[in-house]
Amino acid sequence: MTVENPHLRAKDVNVWFGERHVLRDVNLTFPANQVTALIGPSGCGKSTFLRTLNRMHELIPSAGFAGEVLLDGSDIYAPEVDPGNVRLNIGMVFQKPNPFPTMSIKENVLSGLKLSGRKSSNAEELVETSLRRASIWNEVKDRLNDPALSLSGGQQQRLCIARSLAMNPEVLLMDEPCSALDPGSTRRVEETILELSPEMTIVIVTHNMQQAQRISDQTAFFLAEDGNPGRVVEFGTTDQVFNQPIDPRTNDYVNGHFG
Amino acid sequence: MTDVRVSMDPGNLPQLPRPATEPWRAVNKSKSVKLAISAFAPALVAAAVTLLLALDPAIGVVLVYLPIQILTSVFIGRSLYGKKGQGDALLVVFTAFFSLLVGGLLLSVILSVITMGLRAMSWQFISQNNIYITPTTSLDYGGVGHAILGTVIIVGLTTLLTVPLGILVSVYLTETRSKMRNVVRTLVQAMSGLPSVVAGLFIYSAMIVGLHIGYGGWLGSLALLPLMLPTVSRVAEEALRLVPQDLRNGALALGAPAYRAFLQVTLPAARSGLVTALILGIARVIGETAPLILTVNSANGTNLDPSKPMAALPTYIFQFIANVYDSSVQRAWGAALMVLILVAVLFTAARLVSRDKRAAKRK
Repeated sequence: MTVENPHLRAKDVNVWFGERHVLRDVNLTFPANQVTALIGPSGCGKSTFLRTLNRMHELIPSAGFAGEVLLDGSDIYAPEVDPGNVRLNIGMVFQKPNPFPTMSIKENVLSGLKLSGRKSSNAEELVETSLRRASIWNEVKDRLNDPALSLSGGQQQRLCIARSLAMNPEVLLMDEPCSALDPGSTRRVEETILELSPEMTIVIVTHNMQQAQRISDQTAFFLAEDGNPGRVVEFGTTDQVFNQPIDPRTNDYVNGHFG
Repeated sequence: MTDVRVSMDPGNLPQLPRPATEPWRAVNKSKSVKLAISAFAPALVAAAVTLLLALDPAIGVVLVYLPIQILTSVFIGRSLYGKKGQGDALLVVFTAFFSLLVGGLLLSVILSVITMGLRAMSWQFISQNNIYITPTTSLDYGGVGHAILGTVIIVGLTTLLTVPLGILVSVYLTETRSKMRNVVRTLVQAMSGLPSVVAGLFIYSAMIVGLHIGYGGWLGSLALLPLMLPTVSRVAEEALRLVPQDLRNGALALGAPAYRAFLQVTLPAARSGLVTALILGIARVIGETAPLILTVNSANGTNLDPSKPMAALPTYIFQFIANVYDSSVQRAWGAALMVLILVAVLFTAARLVSRDKRAAKRK
């Protein structure tokens, strides 16, 4: 499928852990300001693929990589590129909420600035806009100096989203952001994603078929068969992948016949 | 008991043998009576026998009480829980007996230091030094003030040198992927087996005999360093390892360079564990005597200059316990109590300083 206005593009991405080949020739294009869902059974490499998109992958010992990831046409794996700068532009939200336990809510939002050695001219304003964009402002505006761990799990996850948004990334990667959350918090996070999507390119890994259909514009189905490396079986608009899948394996998976 | 096996058809639900008015209990009345007998009867019987036969208390405990307790517990355990109860009772008796034994020994050490030490303790004992004091001088004169200061200076200097080094070692072991980590870890472990007198002899032969440097407090600090380092780095390593990888990833995903992620996220998250490393390290070396005898010598006056010989509490104890005079021995006990007090004060201070400010604010 051809995509107009590509923002982030993975070209021939191959991944190894030690000798084990876990992803083969993944080619995906993420158009600007759209939500792309990565689905597939556990162990098919979709989280691994997500981590290659902002070079978090290389932090795992024994991780190997080949291919290109192009952000606005330039390779983030080029030798002169600093992975720190890549991650400033391509933010990430993890499966388990991981607010920094020694910091307050406010400090957590501003932690990205501090951690990358920057100063903000109007920190107060940045805190408010970031928390508003993550739709948690109303819940925490009266206790910004409370420890981040005093929040509930769902609030902590939205705080982590706010923390990423404060860096104003162009792309936001989300690795099963709702898998540790209750249905109410899941709904809030999904609403946040939908509100963000007009201004941000989002890639989300999810095990929840309904969630993929509710929030994503396009969907990629990953599969690793019988010990072979994982690869993309089908990639298209979410409507297509779920309602008129070309590959029978996609059909089986999205209808819950396996995986 | 009535048979309660009833088919599960609706309308034919099983009837309980009797109305469940009381909550179910693991220990009912007859069981608790039996358990009480097994807990107290052997002790009472053994005490009576020991008193009647005028036996030595230690013999009474080991040869009279322990066999009776084992027999009673095993018998009652078997009657309550069958064969499993028998083995269980045996294990309970042994674990309880030996933990009480060890706990009792520890308590007795602490209590004797406190009771004996209190006889020498007074403000004058804490504040004065050892000038003009002979082994027979009455306890109304002189004290350990100079030795307290000496210990604080020597151990403080050791801490200043060792804690940064120990934390650096633990950072190397937890935060890097170097291939040398196992070698370093093994070396540090081997270091923890180093006898303290050898550490003292090394500094003595290298610095005092070799380089002709005179005895001094700072040489003592150097001699204590290899003794403190393994403790600090091992405990700090555990503390850093306990910080979830998720937090490090979270910081790195925000674009942080590794050193900032470590300083601003990992290190603060490990703070209380690192304070524990500091405390255990101090506790490891504060009572060391042999290295100080070899490298610091001792002094009777108050000396705050670590380049000269100075007194320390362990060497003070060593100096006075060697004399047979009552007042000397009492001075040694007093100094021993002083070491305990010093450790307690340092620990409390460290805990107070390291307490999470945010947690305190919330109250």
